Amino acid sequence: MSTNRRKLRVASVVAGIGIVAVLAAGCSRGGGTPNSTDDGAAEASPGITDTSITLGITTPLSGPTAGPGTCTVAGITAYFGAKNADGGVEFGDGKTRTVEIEALDDEYDPQKAKANYDQLKSSVFAMTAGLGTPTNRAWREAAIADEVPQALIMTGDPIFSDAEESPWQLGFVPIYQNEGQAFGELLAGSSEDHKVAILSQNDDYGEGYVEGFKKGIEGADNIEIVKELTYEATDTTVDAQLTELAGSGADVFFNAMSITPLVISSLQKTQELGWLPSWFLPSNTSSPSAILEPGGAAAFPGVYTVAFAQSAAAPTFADSEEGAAFLDQLKEYANYPDTPAFPHCVWSYQVGATLEQVFAKMTEPTRADFMEQLRTISGYTAPLMLEGSTVDTTVDGQPAVSTVQVQKYNGKGYAPAESWGQ
Amino acid sequence: MASPARFWTRPWVKWASIGLFVVLAVVVPLLLPEFANQTIARIGVFAVAVLGLNVVMGYTGQVSLGQIFFVGVGAYATAYGVNAGWNIALVFVFACILPAVLGLLVALAAARLGGLAIAMVTIALPLVGLPLAKRLSDFTGGSQGTSARFTDAPEWTGLYDDQWQLYIVILIGGITFLLTRNLVRGKYGRAFAIVKGNEAVASSMGVSPYRYKVLAFTIASLIGGVSGFLYMVVIQYTSPETLHFGHSIELLASMVIGGAGSIIGSLLGGAWYVLLPQITNLIDPNITAMLQGAILLVVLFILPGGLVSLPRLWRRRGGGDHGARGGGAAGPGQRTDAAASSSAAPAAPAIQAAPAVPGDAAADPPPSPPMQS
Repeated sequence: MSTNRRKLRVASVVAGIGIVAVLAAGCSRGGGTPNSTDDGAAEASPGITDTSITLGITTPLSGPTAGPGTCTVAGITAYFGAKNADGGVEFGDGKTRTVEIEALDDEYDPQKAKANYDQLKSSVFAMTAGLGTPTNRAWREAAIADEVPQALIMTGDPIFSDAEESPWQLGFVPIYQNEGQAFGELLAGSSEDHKVAILSQNDDYGEGYVEGFKKGIEGADNIEIVKELTYEATDTTVDAQLTELAGSGADVFFNAMSITPLVISSLQKTQELGWLPSWFLPSNTSSPSAILEPGGAAAFPGVYTVAFAQSAAAPTFADSEEGAAFLDQLKEYANYPDTPAFPHCVWSYQVGATLEQVFAKMTEPTRADFMEQLRTISGYTAPLMLEGSTVDTTVDGQPAVSTVQVQKYNGKGYAPAESWGQ
Repeated sequence: MASPARFWTRPWVKWASIGLFVVLAVVVPLLLPEFANQTIARIGVFAVAVLGLNVVMGYTGQVSLGQIFFVGVGAYATAYGVNAGWNIALVFVFACILPAVLGLLVALAAARLGGLAIAMVTIALPLVGLPLAKRLSDFTGGSQGTSARFTDAPEWTGLYDDQWQLYIVILIGGITFLLTRNLVRGKYGRAFAIVKGNEAVASSMGVSPYRYKVLAFTIASLIGGVSGFLYMVVIQYTSPETLHFGHSIELLASMVIGGAGSIIGSLLGGAWYVLLPQITNLIDPNITAMLQGAILLVVLFILPGGLVSLPRLWRRRGGGDHGARGGGAAGPGQRTDAAASSSAAPAAPAIQAAPAVPGDAAADPPPSPPMQS
């Protein structure tokens, strides 16, 4: 008897919950948050009103990459902070909007980056400026599926600049190939014959540089690659490779290396071996104070690298009008009182300036129109850009900035190198 | 007033709560907004990872710092299988078996060492795994990682993707939790508890510490693989950074915070792993690391037995008959489910002595003498 009553009770409880649940399910999601805005074309996308627009950033703000990551937020925050203080940014539809930045820390963890994207996507108009290849790749496909712009992000990975593969993306900084190619072209323009030794990291980073370099010297018969070796990103020494390369008798050393201590020890080891070629180093491992000075780079006939933006650490930077304004705004609006040690602050500032150009062309407050206009900027010289570099978003397969300037180390900092040996 | 303890042990209450849970699991994904569903799904992913860690650490007492490696291997195996066009059931099996085999091989060697040596060996796993993932680019996609988008909701369901993914996580994660719960409450669980408590006692009772350590480690690796599969279901992308050693430590912290040696604690640990970064991001994204450290310390001070001991702290405060202030965890300390169940079911002949190993319950949280009878 009691078993029956118990069964009855269980049944009624479950049935009761079930009924409530089904009723609740019936009215769920219908009027709730829609997954995408595929209704009217002119209906405003999320994150934009008549008076404001919100941009989202997911970037590492803690952990080993926190330095550059913090810069990617600070630069754009400073830029739009100053604009907002002047009343806002004028859009192509005639309205003036203030630009709000919502930044979240992803600790350089792809999983957290995806979580941040999920959190932001329905409240921001577009995602931008975030640093990191894996952390941007983690939600690239989701952004395509959700039709959320992932615009002007900081990664040298070419996939983000391929309009067919990444219709809702665009990279900002030059891809690895751009850097290698710029140096290759400069070298090919030399009046002398050169023998080149190549050392590269055995991954997409090293391969990208070498691919670009080979494209740059294509057809130049004064350049010969005499030896090409690789190392693993986990190696703690490349002495064996250097010794072998030194034996090749090359006078130019193309070193696509991303690891700071390895670059320093390579500079020292090469001198020990008595091999004194001209060097090429990638933009992220060519810091004068952190790498070249400790490595004793002045011993070499030339150390070349590439850049597209002015270095905030350069002594003349704070004296220029643009540079001083940049540092002031960084202090005032982005809570970043020091002179940035990473180029990402300047880059992020330029992302802000480029976005303003896009906003000025937008006639509809939609993500689709934003993406369309994003790919129409050309010949724009953003603040703090080096002469000769411009923003050009119209070339498929290239990031927003693909023209870099080769620079040569002069013992203190870098100076533009227009031709070989200068 | 009927005592609440008796209320909860009544069969119909038990069945009703199970029914309620099932109905909730079915209905909640339909009701919640997208981001909530995604967050719950992520919690499920890492709850399973913490559960695996609990099998080897919480229940068997062997320090493992390599759990994220097995999660990563499971994720990579899933991505590889999906991109090679395998049947999804086959992919799932592969994602479980591969980490389990690796775990078995490592454990066969490491469990012989015993003590802290097993911890040292497991440290090596993520340290080796990360560069390996970068190097084996034919399988892993190198440092750019690899993505596999295979969990979009099928047309016929009429569900949103996030709902579909959450259902997969609830189903697979739920089964994993259920099986693990049965495992640690059965004879294996009792054997694990003795191995954790005292290896000499275990040997004297015919329980081979070596065999059970290897078994626990292999099961933990297998569960890690399940977690890796779910990782790909929800996040759909993996890269060498997934295997970062730091995540192993975060998993470990989550396990301790959730409650070592507890099934519910694993769930809470998963929630902790996912929600803590989100909460600190809400407070101030610029100081997340500092906030996380501070919150971790505060929680450990208040609840040394983990979040799972919170109700007990409450009860003690409310009842007040023992006046154990701030001693929520001081009482039974952290009750391992295995020990609890073995004391509840003293039928197992060989392992009668399990409840007689109180060191087991009070050993690894800050030692606190059981105060009440």
